[in-house]
Amino acid sequence: MTFRQFAFRNVVRNRRIYAAFFMASVFSVMVFFLYSMLLFHPSIEGSALQEIAVLGMGIAEIILYIFTMFFLFYSMRAFLLARTKEFGILLHLGMEKRQLHRLIFIETLIIGAASIGIGIFLGYMFSKFFFMVVKNIVMLPALPLYLSWEPFALTVGAFLSLFIIISWVAPVFIRTGNLDELIRGEAVGGVGQHGFSKVRGVIGLLLIGLSYCMAAFTSNSIVIGLIFLLPPLATLGTYFFFTDSLPFLLHLFKVRKEFYWRHFRLLAISEGVIRLKENARMFFIVTIVSTVAFMSVGILASLTSFASQYRAMNPLGLVYESFPGNELEEEHINRLGYELRKNEIDYTYVRFPILKQRSSLTSYTVTIIKVSSVNRLSKSLGYQAFELKEGEALFLPPTASTYEQLNSQTVETVLEESGIAVRINGAYPYQLFPAHAIGTNTIILNDADYTKLAELVEPSSVYHAFDIPDWQNTKNIGLKIENTLTESLLTGTRSELRFNFDNPGLNYSIMRTTFTLLLFIGLLLAGVFLLAAGSFIYFRLYTSLESDRKQFDVLKRMGITDKEFKKIVNRQLIPQFFVPWGVALVHSSFAFLSLQVIWDALAEISIVRELTMVLVGFTVLQIIYFYLIRWRYLAHIRIPG
Amino acid sequence: MKRMKKSIVKLEQVTKIYEGKVMHRALNRLDFEADQGEFIAIMGPSGSGKTTLLNIISTIDMPTYGRVIIDGIEPEALNSNELALFRRHNFGFVFQDINLLSSLTLEENIVLPLTLDGLPIAEMKKRVEQLAKQLSLKDILNRRPDELSGGQAQRTAVGRALIHKPKLILADEPTGNLDSNSAKEVLELLSVVNQTERTTIIMVTHDPIAASYCDRVLFIKDGEFFNEIYKDERRQTFFQRILNVLSLLGGNVHDLRML
Repeated sequence: MTFRQFAFRNVVRNRRIYAAFFMASVFSVMVFFLYSMLLFHPSIEGSALQEIAVLGMGIAEIILYIFTMFFLFYSMRAFLLARTKEFGILLHLGMEKRQLHRLIFIETLIIGAASIGIGIFLGYMFSKFFFMVVKNIVMLPALPLYLSWEPFALTVGAFLSLFIIISWVAPVFIRTGNLDELIRGEAVGGVGQHGFSKVRGVIGLLLIGLSYCMAAFTSNSIVIGLIFLLPPLATLGTYFFFTDSLPFLLHLFKVRKEFYWRHFRLLAISEGVIRLKENARMFFIVTIVSTVAFMSVGILASLTSFASQYRAMNPLGLVYESFPGNELEEEHINRLGYELRKNEIDYTYVRFPILKQRSSLTSYTVTIIKVSSVNRLSKSLGYQAFELKEGEALFLPPTASTYEQLNSQTVETVLEESGIAVRINGAYPYQLFPAHAIGTNTIILNDADYTKLAELVEPSSVYHAFDIPDWQNTKNIGLKIENTLTESLLTGTRSELRFNFDNPGLNYSIMRTTFTLLLFIGLLLAGVFLLAAGSFIYFRLYTSLESDRKQFDVLKRMGITDKEFKKIVNRQLIPQFFVPWGVALVHSSFAFLSLQVIWDALAEISIVRELTMVLVGFTVLQIIYFYLIRWRYLAHIRIPG
Repeated sequence: MKRMKKSIVKLEQVTKIYEGKVMHRALNRLDFEADQGEFIAIMGPSGSGKTTLLNIISTIDMPTYGRVIIDGIEPEALNSNELALFRRHNFGFVFQDINLLSSLTLEENIVLPLTLDGLPIAEMKKRVEQLAKQLSLKDILNRRPDELSGGQAQRTAVGRALIHKPKLILADEPTGNLDSNSAKEVLELLSVVNQTERTTIIMVTHDPIAASYCDRVLFIKDGEFFNEIYKDERRQTFFQRILNVLSLLGGNVHDLRML
């Protein structure tokens, strides 16, 4: 048996311990590979949407890489500690430290190589399916399966470097103390885990309570500030919650003996506290990640329902607004028309010169548009035309909700500068323009008076409306104008531009794609985290298996029935699996409460169904995982030695 | 004289065979009887079947042949659930490696068997207090097992075995891991409990000094009855007689180390 064979056999024969670790590594390699397949896809180049996709995947890869590193470090440490006894025997038999390090190095590399190989293999098998999903989300042309060295190189490079770093650093974790202690292999973990800080515990609860209150009772004026304030606050609170508050609360519970000294609570809670202390950081990470995953799911779900409402709020396909002194107006309008025709998109173009006058009645400025222009636009949307006689006008409600109020009003006023008297009777019933697009105090004036007025005053701006039935197809129209605007925003020269351009089709698709991608990436990441979290728990169970077995033997002799023992194990395992889950759920519920303030529209949309589906899906997965691990644990613990 | 007492453990022609790659006969047609209130030591060389015997008495293991009656009940007739409850209510255990649960404080360890049966808190507290006094553990009740000396830990374990007032205490080498002073403390404690509470104690041991605290010593060899001696007025002479039998048992240097 050569040294390498020895290392290999160690891995193969310890496969039961390595199984969960291996599974999580493979899955993480697989997801990483899938992302890289997309990153390097030859047909992804150029457009803004695809850039978002690539950016999202890139960020996901970095998160995945960092997380995997953390996961490997943690697992390796736990694993090596669990094997302390074995290493003690090897050292006792005269193995040099250097050789022991080499042994660990080789073992880690074997597992690393195997997980990279299998992960990439599975990744490649699933990539066609993955492309199909992504294609539908991002609305890309077909993404053919391709073979290129880049994704392979990136994945192998990333993970091989990771495993090499880990296996190089890992021997540090071996306790190189007294040989005798090593061989007895006792006192692994468990000691000094009883402490917690009361102050931090209370701070944690306060922070979470505060964030919840602020989230629940937020108002429109401060919500933007809260978006930056609440997440760090809640994150810190969650951290303290797991490291200190929860042990503190359990301690309070333990003091009440009439609750604590009841049946299995004594055993289950005391064990639970120790496990909680040991895994607090992991629980924290799982909670935060799950919260983010839940939130992206929720936001996406609401956005999907949002689509129809978005159309109602933005009835026009494209909007170009030109202010006096804009030399590019004609060129831009011609370009937009040309691009629309070139892309074979039907449209109706209406030009609205916007006039401004002061109302004698209220002495506020009134924005004025022409009724025949409005009728031309409404015809293309399938609405009825309005007739106004000389001297008549209609209110144009700034939002749909103000219609009722304005429709019941009749006002007689004189437009001061021109001296034209008008009678404003009721409001225009259809939503032609996005909310507040043409001022808040707007009237539709009859053609005769409008023509008179137009001779007297210059238009304050010109509103170019393009009605486009296929509004979602306009995402490639007017990109150049869009870019000019974005650039000026970035360079701070926005005020020098004398025009405004709005492309709801593009905005909508960007929003939708961003959130769908976030969701998709989030779901895959959440999958990795889920597996990793389960693997951590399995690990902890495995490292304490020896002492747990002894405990089980004591309890069995003492007369604990099989059913009772299962109950005890349940009470220890269930919190580990489901507490982070529950906290994440509460966190995201409160986050949604505050988000609803931003999107009033959200209140009317039922996202419960979509959210429930995803949550149920994840919970089912978690439950399966729980039963799987409990089954393995019970099996291990019942086999003596 | 002894026959007049009520028998609590009765083994008739008990044989235990472990099947496996190598078949092994751990006990062979062994008869054994323990009366209520007796303090019995079981001695014998390594592999003589002491632990198997103790496991069979404690109903963890069932004999291959033969009959076991404990407190008038045949464990073999009970299902595993009833058996667990039977053990819980009738037995107290003391182990060589003590086996306190490390996550519990000393007090919680002692009270553990009672919590399983859901006794009133006041009653539990009363019993712990009483026991702690008796075991001189009163000042350290809130410590954890990793903060105790060997003697303190084993006294705690004895407390755990006594708290529910069992009929029978089964001890497997209770002094095996203790220094001589701690061992003496524990043994004196056991014999006090035996005398004041009339609790039956069956103890497996290698140590002739430990055995000399008992009323009776049963010697077994290769799973069969070898000899049996009763105590006399003086522990010193009883100890000598135990040594004599051990040397007769012979062949095992380990058991003679005490000489």
